[in-house]
Amino acid sequence: MTDKNSTAPAIAVEDLWQVFGENATSALRDARGAGDDKAIAQTLKDKTLIPAVRAANFEVKSGELFVIMGLSGSGKSTMIRCISRLIEPTAGSVRIDGEDILQASDKRLIDLRRHKLGMVFQHFGLFPHMTVADNVAFPLKMQGAGKAERRARALEVLQMVGLEGREDTYPRNLSGGQRQRVGIARSLAVNPDIWFLDEPFSALDPLIRRQLQDEFLNIQATLKKSIVFITHDIQEALKLADRIAIMRDGEIVQIGTPEEIVLHPVDDYVAEFSKDVPKGRHACVESILMDGIPDNMPDDPGIKIGMTLDTALTKCMELYEPVPVRNAEGNVIGAVHPHELANALQAEET
Amino acid sequence: MSATEAVSQGAGRRLSLTRGSQAALFVLAVVLLCRLLGAQFEWLVKWPAALTVPMADWMTWLVGGFLDVFKPIARTFTFLVSYPMEWVGWLLNAVPWPMTVAAVTAIGWMIGGIRLAALGFLGLMFVVFTGYWSQGMNTLALVAVSVPLALVMGAAIGILAFEYPRMKGAVNALLDIMQTVPTFAYLVPLLVLFGFGPVVGLIASAIYAAPPMARNVLLGLERVDTEIREAAVMSGGTRRQQLFLVELPAATQQIMIGVNQCLMAALSMVIIAAVIGGFDDIGWEVLQTMRKALFGPAFLAGSVVVVFAIIIDRMSAALAEPRQPQNRTVAYGILAVGAAVTIWAVLAGWPPSGVAAMDGLAKRVDEGVGVFTATYGTTLDSIKNTSMFYGLLPLRIGLAEAVLPFTWGFAWTVKHTAMLYGAALLISLILIFKGRVTAAVMVLIIAYIAEIGVAHLAWPVVILGAGAIGWVSGGWKLARLAVILLSLILISGLWERALLSLYLAGAAVFACAVIGGLLGLWSAMSTTAWMVLRPICDFLQTIPLFVFLIPVLMFFQIGEFSAFIAICMYAVVPMIRYTRHGLVSTPDEIIEAATASGAGKWQTMFEVRAPFAAPTILLGLNQTILYAFAMLVIAALIGTTELGQLIFLALGQYDVGLGITAGAAMAILALVADRLVQGFAEERRQALGL
Repeated sequence: MTDKNSTAPAIAVEDLWQVFGENATSALRDARGAGDDKAIAQTLKDKTLIPAVRAANFEVKSGELFVIMGLSGSGKSTMIRCISRLIEPTAGSVRIDGEDILQASDKRLIDLRRHKLGMVFQHFGLFPHMTVADNVAFPLKMQGAGKAERRARALEVLQMVGLEGREDTYPRNLSGGQRQRVGIARSLAVNPDIWFLDEPFSALDPLIRRQLQDEFLNIQATLKKSIVFITHDIQEALKLADRIAIMRDGEIVQIGTPEEIVLHPVDDYVAEFSKDVPKGRHACVESILMDGIPDNMPDDPGIKIGMTLDTALTKCMELYEPVPVRNAEGNVIGAVHPHELANALQAEET
Repeated sequence: MSATEAVSQGAGRRLSLTRGSQAALFVLAVVLLCRLLGAQFEWLVKWPAALTVPMADWMTWLVGGFLDVFKPIARTFTFLVSYPMEWVGWLLNAVPWPMTVAAVTAIGWMIGGIRLAALGFLGLMFVVFTGYWSQGMNTLALVAVSVPLALVMGAAIGILAFEYPRMKGAVNALLDIMQTVPTFAYLVPLLVLFGFGPVVGLIASAIYAAPPMARNVLLGLERVDTEIREAAVMSGGTRRQQLFLVELPAATQQIMIGVNQCLMAALSMVIIAAVIGGFDDIGWEVLQTMRKALFGPAFLAGSVVVVFAIIIDRMSAALAEPRQPQNRTVAYGILAVGAAVTIWAVLAGWPPSGVAAMDGLAKRVDEGVGVFTATYGTTLDSIKNTSMFYGLLPLRIGLAEAVLPFTWGFAWTVKHTAMLYGAALLISLILIFKGRVTAAVMVLIIAYIAEIGVAHLAWPVVILGAGAIGWVSGGWKLARLAVILLSLILISGLWERALLSLYLAGAAVFACAVIGGLLGLWSAMSTTAWMVLRPICDFLQTIPLFVFLIPVLMFFQIGEFSAFIAICMYAVVPMIRYTRHGLVSTPDEIIEAATASGAGKWQTMFEVRAPFAAPTILLGLNQTILYAFAMLVIAALIGTTELGQLIFLALGQYDVGLGITAGAAMAILALVADRLVQGFAEERRQALGL
């Protein structure tokens, strides 16, 4: 999760603004004088402009699965469209592998999209007049690949998403889950490095959703793409993410690992999200390690690094003294107080 | 319009008035002014001739100069287009009819299976038996050349408007104009530009048929799902690739609807264009037989037009829907049978121009109509006279002039005027007592119109009245538009004709609103009713405008009443459709909520469905108005005295200025009515949060 610090970020977003309304660019420039970001946003709102994304800053590491989460209207869809430059951001910079794509020419942008970027849409965005295979092969067609090559690659990706045998049907004959598999296959056809997913599973039934999430994780485990994933579902975010950014009113209010989000929400808004989340299942013992290691620990129930709070708690139900936490080799690297374990889990109840 | 403010402020102090009642009071003030002072100051009622501007002459000068410049180019174009037209005409005439019938049947099979194959076969066989085969093929040749022109033009305009949003406003305005200016009006400058002959009809029909294509292409492109668009972008397509590989194909269904409308418009116009082109086509045939009062042949020729229209419409409409692929072998089989029959027909010496087996039928129709009118002549006359004397005439010239001893049995006197206003005042007082100020004021204004008639309305009443309605429905901008546009007609000296147009269209729209509204309500309540009415509506919307005149003429001869009936027949359809559609498309949840609250069928209808349907019904009314104006010009062929007749006059005299001015006046009337009603529809939609 954290061992990829050494490589350069796949995506770096700096002070990104998206303001909707007339003369947004000049209005934003004028409003800069107002002070901090909140004041700027308020100034813009007073002019009946809509600051949909405000001063966003974050980095997505290579191979990282970065989830942006928020309620509808919080600006997350706008954010992903800014990063993929489907819409022109008002100000700021977006670097993909060091290259500022907001400065990229139309030609360069087309080139990037043909080779480096892939995107999956909430309502699938399938071309109704093309077969499944043609849909999947469309980005390859744009690259100028030959017919046979396109077909071969389309079948290959379709197999990856479990749709072999459906290549010559039309999207209208598929179920929602199948359609999104086509969408995923299409976005992977050119083997992009960067993968954008805009609420890919939100339009699906819960059961299908879970199934696709699992398959998605499997695909990611083999392909190791750098991913920006949009969702409004906290469970989905926690399940998939390496790191999560939480948005409200166009603002990123917190960025952190799933544990950090669950255990240390920065404010009530974030806390509200994780209220119904069974924390024991998402947080690990290292999140509540004690400051030092006590000398005298009478009990050793066998707590290990990476163990979830739930599991840890069942092991030390009857214990009242701090217990050691060991790493994979069995060395003691910290200690946990059973009392703290219980507290961490109880926090959600209130 | 500071008077409105004065009135509204003056009244606003004591009781708070709605926008509607403020406007109504203002109009009432204008009415009182004109009615009371009209006798002393004649200019208040009748615009002085000295102040009219010779708009038509200016137009002749302006447009004439413009036309002279483009004439050589246009004539070259005529020359160029006449070739493909002749080739197609030659081809369609040279191919023996059994082959053509087989080809159309095979196409029908491929598009829609046995149903459309049968339609194609039976339809064309009918044409064969009427003996109008070669005329029919000449008409088809015109359509075959004008439609591709219109499709290319329309698609180009639609794509342009989509690609450059800045041009969208201008393009939409242009399309509005292309569709509201009566077709005959732009025939005049086209005649000057392109010279006499069938090519003018062809070009006019291409111009008339392009807007529906353009609109549907634009609409289709706009409706392409954003995600599909974005998926194309993210796939790395260039703008051109996105447009042609993704967006246009994704919009196919909407575009095919455009193709269907384009075909129908072209056919309709090709038929009408017969008025200017002495060409041996089916429109010409209809016109000739109608002029000679040969109702049998006119009826047959009209039926041929209808058959063409139905075949083209159903086949092209089927293209817009997803369909199952058909067995090709069957199509080849049909063609083979056609070829065999052709050889046999050639050997047997069947005439290539169809088998005139229905001349007998034509004669019988003629005789039948003769017998019918002889037997029921008095009934028909009494229907016509009753409607004229007690309905149309009073509306046109007012009760004060229409009530004569000869018709009503007594003469209108001052006493009757006093009684009319007395009754109106009484009703109005009762309404005020009930708190319905707007309705009360409206009653008084209606009494004024009933007394003097639409054709004699004082000009300030019409112009400021339209302005006031515009203010209520769309604010100052719309009010200003209505006043300025109508004033243009006033100073052009066409005012009286325009009022006559307004009266005839108004009477027809009113009749359509009542009848169509009731029929729509009935079809919404009863599925059986809709099963009966729906094919009738489909039929009425398929047949070209021109054909409406035939049955009307057969039974009521020429005259204003016949025109009125023809307009009603054509314009009632949208009212029925939209009313029903609005009433049945209330969301299920809302209906369920009403049912759960214990509302009965009729309660649900009037308390829930009707308010919800109001915007849709208003749109239907709007369509009805536009249809009525479109038909008004055609109806002028059978005797009216309004603007439509002027346009025909201009056509006959080659008078560009008059043609354009009268056409523009007509378009202004239609446009103002359209915007006023749309304003109300929009207001209702917003009130409902739709």
